[in-house]
Amino acid sequence: MTKNTIGSLFFLAFSCFYFLNVFNIKKMPGNHYEVMTASTFPFYIGIAGIIISLIIFALSFVEKDKDYLSPEFIKSLDFKTTSAFVASMLFYGFTIRSLGFIIATIIFLVTGFVLLKEKNMKRILLISVGVSVGFYLLLNNVLGVYIDPGMIVEYFAGDES
Amino acid sequence: MIDGVLQGVATALSSYNIMMVVIGCLAGTFIGMLPGLGPISAIALMIPITYGMEPSSGLILIAGVYYGAIFGGSTSSILINAPGVAGTVASSFDGYPMARKGQAGKALAIAAYSSFTGGTIAAVFLLFAAPALASVSLSFQSSDYFALMVLGLTAVAAFAGKGKFLKAAIMTIFGLMLATVGTDSDSGIARFTFGRLDLIDGISFLLLAMAAFALSEAMMNILDNKEQTQKERDELNKSIGSLKLTRAEVKDMAPTVARSSVLGFFVGVLPGAGATIASFLAYGMERSFATAKEKLKFGKGSLRGLAAPEAANNAACSGSFVPLLTLGIPGSGTTAIILGALVSYGIQPGPTMYIDNPALFWSVIVSMYIGNVVLLVLNLPLIPYIARLLTIPKQLLLPLIIFFSLVGVYLVTFNTFDIYMMTMFAVVALFLRIIDFPMAPMILGFILGGMMEDNLRRALTISDGSLSFLWERPITLTILIITIILLLMPLMSEVYAKIKKAKA
Repeated sequence: MTKNTIGSLFFLAFSCFYFLNVFNIKKMPGNHYEVMTASTFPFYIGIAGIIISLIIFALSFVEKDKDYLSPEFIKSLDFKTTSAFVASMLFYGFTIRSLGFIIATIIFLVTGFVLLKEKNMKRILLISVGVSVGFYLLLNNVLGVYIDPGMIVEYFAGDES
Repeated sequence: MIDGVLQGVATALSSYNIMMVVIGCLAGTFIGMLPGLGPISAIALMIPITYGMEPSSGLILIAGVYYGAIFGGSTSSILINAPGVAGTVASSFDGYPMARKGQAGKALAIAAYSSFTGGTIAAVFLLFAAPALASVSLSFQSSDYFALMVLGLTAVAAFAGKGKFLKAAIMTIFGLMLATVGTDSDSGIARFTFGRLDLIDGISFLLLAMAAFALSEAMMNILDNKEQTQKERDELNKSIGSLKLTRAEVKDMAPTVARSSVLGFFVGVLPGAGATIASFLAYGMERSFATAKEKLKFGKGSLRGLAAPEAANNAACSGSFVPLLTLGIPGSGTTAIILGALVSYGIQPGPTMYIDNPALFWSVIVSMYIGNVVLLVLNLPLIPYIARLLTIPKQLLLPLIIFFSLVGVYLVTFNTFDIYMMTMFAVVALFLRIIDFPMAPMILGFILGGMMEDNLRRALTISDGSLSFLWERPITLTILIITIILLLMPLMSEVYAKIKKAKA
């Protein structure tokens, strides 16, 4: 399949999903007296999205310079590391509150460096701890942005809050 | 006007704001130098930091970052043939061959001097063009604004390049769709929130910009898995040579820089055109102006070939501020991000901005000029040291970029849902990058979506639901005719090419 065929199918699916959801937008009483309601604009852009996706889809079969998503190109991409990174980002979101900013950030950065095959453990720990503690201190003490350090840090620091 | 200019000068020249320009230029140069990270990513990364500042200081910092990132992009273009931004691709045509000949210092100096001159000429033009356009646009009504926004979005698609028109158009619509998520500003009805309270306020533009640019760029680098070659590292470790230019070289380049600056400014003013088109046009123009002997040097280290795109891209950056500051309509992805920042400071740019907020309006224009001076005085001598940044291994840099992107958005709302949503958008953006769908039209559609709907609603209410507002006012009609011409342009150029081919 060409890149345009894949893209058009993605946008066709998204536009259809969007367009169908336009009908779920609630209507106010006396709605029919309004020249434009909350669903008018989404209705038309939904239609425009479907039409343009269909045009791209149709043209992708007749275009001269077809740009294929080749299996060689796909094979050259590192999906394993990227997926692991996506998982670590989601995990960071999950832990930033429970473990607190400092520990969650250290875990995230260490994971990131290790995933990208950094071998120098001393460097990994130095940067991870330095960045998370340094950034925390900068935000709290210089920029005045309070960030919860997390339950574990509070426990060891004896913070009662 | 004089009072406003003086107020702006006083604001921009306060020690705090000068410090902001300096920090902005340096940070922008650092970020812009990293291959893949351009001005949009640089500005998006800086916005959370500016939230606690005065709007003028925040905007001055952002203007510094913008210019710094463009300069940083030129540096990586020249030194390792890896343009950080599309606007500096043309600079690599002759800049990189110069660096390979051992004239990297000279190439960087030409880039800095040409950018400075381009920025200076454009700042003078901006000084006169912005108030003139603002006074004309005072007579604009909602129907004209609606037409202007349609023109802006169409222009982005029309200038997207051969075969990319429809891709840019669908990305614009994607942006418009995302802009409708959240509470409708008029009726207060929730749209596309799927019952989630986190979506009631809509999608934050910073979240979307960060996910679509900074985060997806970094993830693209991980996916690409391309190691920095030993050759690239060796090139960076080499001495960059002298930064000095001879009098004859300056004399030779002066007309080129002047021509390209004027061209760059006017191309920058056009919605959708921007620095990339300006730099390529200037390069093409200089090539056609050159003598047969000089023409042979193009692509092999021509001084004019480097000076032209550098002057033009910097002038275009200043030019792109004209529609933003006077009409409140961004003409490019970068100015769309700046508009988002302005709105988050509680400022709505438009024709009355220079009357209501003269200090802010003029201080931004003055600080752009200061930014150019800083780039020349401070950044140029520091370049040999700043360029060492390019030798930092990817495995250390990428996790840090991702961390700053995630935290930058999280710190605004302290809502972990934003981190999940950002990750999801980054994955979608990554997929769209793989299949070559451009990101800038999406962010432009997203930023203009809300304004477009509001103006359409107002225009329809005034005309009692009739579509006659589209042709009743001459301004609206003229803008819409230009839009139709732009829409038909790709088709017309194809037909013209076919006729030409048939004749040949």
